[in-house]
Amino acid sequence: MKVDVLVIGGGSAGLAAAVTAARTGARTLLVERNGLLGGMGTAALVHTFCGLYLLDGDRAEIANPGISSEIAERMERATGLGPVKMGRVWVLPQHPVEFASLSDRLIREAGVDLLFHSELVSLEPGWRAEVVCRGARRVIEADSVIDASGDAVGAEFLMGAAEPTEAVRLQRPAYVCGVQGVSGELNSLELSGRIVEGMRAGALTKAALGMHFRASGRAGEIFGTLDLSGEEQGAYDPTDPACLSAIEVAGREVASQVVAYLRDHQRGWGGAYIAHWPIRAGVRESRRWRGRATLTGEEVLAGATHEDDVAWATWPLELRETNRGPKLRYLKDARAAGIPAGALQADGFERLFVAGRCLSCDHEAQASIRVMGTCFATGEAAGRMAVEGVPGGS
Amino acid sequence: MLAGMSEGCRTDEVVEMLRQEALFELPHDFGAGSDLFELGMDSMAVMQLIVIIEERWGVALGAEDASRENLGTPEKLAATIQARQ
Repeated sequence: MKVDVLVIGGGSAGLAAAVTAARTGARTLLVERNGLLGGMGTAALVHTFCGLYLLDGDRAEIANPGISSEIAERMERATGLGPVKMGRVWVLPQHPVEFASLSDRLIREAGVDLLFHSELVSLEPGWRAEVVCRGARRVIEADSVIDASGDAVGAEFLMGAAEPTEAVRLQRPAYVCGVQGVSGELNSLELSGRIVEGMRAGALTKAALGMHFRASGRAGEIFGTLDLSGEEQGAYDPTDPACLSAIEVAGREVASQVVAYLRDHQRGWGGAYIAHWPIRAGVRESRRWRGRATLTGEEVLAGATHEDDVAWATWPLELRETNRGPKLRYLKDARAAGIPAGALQADGFERLFVAGRCLSCDHEAQASIRVMGTCFATGEAAGRMAVEGVPGGS
Repeated sequence: MLAGMSEGCRTDEVVEMLRQEALFELPHDFGAGSDLFELGMDSMAVMQLIVIIEERWGVALGAEDASRENLGTPEKLAATIQARQ
């Protein structure tokens, strides 16, 4: 199979990259390991688009007009919910079911070729890739490759091209599940107190601390979110299947215990049950590409700009190095910071682009640029560069 | 007796505790009347806070205490702790 642009990974970045490339007329193939697009926003049930809007302000202003605006508009139409201000940031509530469906439509309208259930198993400069579906290999030749895999999977086959974060500082993973059967108003503060009571009583373990619930926007449906330590089985390593397995099992176990406790002790929760599990736990950070430029957290905090900026980061550095809640560091005297084209180009390779949470940046900057709203923007930029070339450069 | 001068938990101790624990970013002018929820205290931070209060002051707050009225500012928080000491 020969294509102009191969996009690895159909999360928020890969979706935007593939749609953008295909709309210019390039023959584009999107390879995705799950059976649905949207990545963390569907498979991991992360139900908020962060990073779509400029920081602060009296109204929500899209930071990266383009595909971000299109996705935001379609999502608002689907859910009937508009942007919400939480402290200093604007966010858009999103529903994973709607996200998967609107992604299908975007891909079909743009004419992207799609391979679900496929994992990248080799990548050679030139570009020649192999993907596997249920044991069967398929060879793909491409002029350009965009790695939007979230874990810099392509770098695994190009020695030394990736940069892992030290395990102790890695952002901790989230586990999100769907809950139904709760009646009455959701009082999240009261629920917090109730969970602490459950821990005191010995019915819940310390791992339950931090589980919180939010209405999905649909009648009778809420999402429960739990931050895990990732150390359920030794040091946290989100590229190790044994570690990931322990996280998935721990997520289900802890969430089940919490919902069972609330069923017995919380008013309105007598009929509560877990309605669905995520396809996978939400990994926030793993490996990143080493690019021609590396965006730093200091640059993001300072709202720095570069000559070759291709997208805007607006989300604060949301550090989750422990599972005891986020530490937010906001941009100082700026509403956005520039993401340079160089951070989306793999160093030492031609026509190899990177988008989403594994683009070239340091650990602190990644805490801002990993969010889905920013991933749409870096995906769009990578899709454009793969077809039209890099602004002002080779 | 003024709340800030009693023998129980004092407001300035609560302010100091919130600075030390850094559950969320505190502005320079943070003080007794600052709205904690406006500063970013969410339900996750509330759980941490309840655990910390139990460790520091031996007061076991629960679901019935977890409200904006009881935990919304350092002043309210100190009063809530005092009432239970």
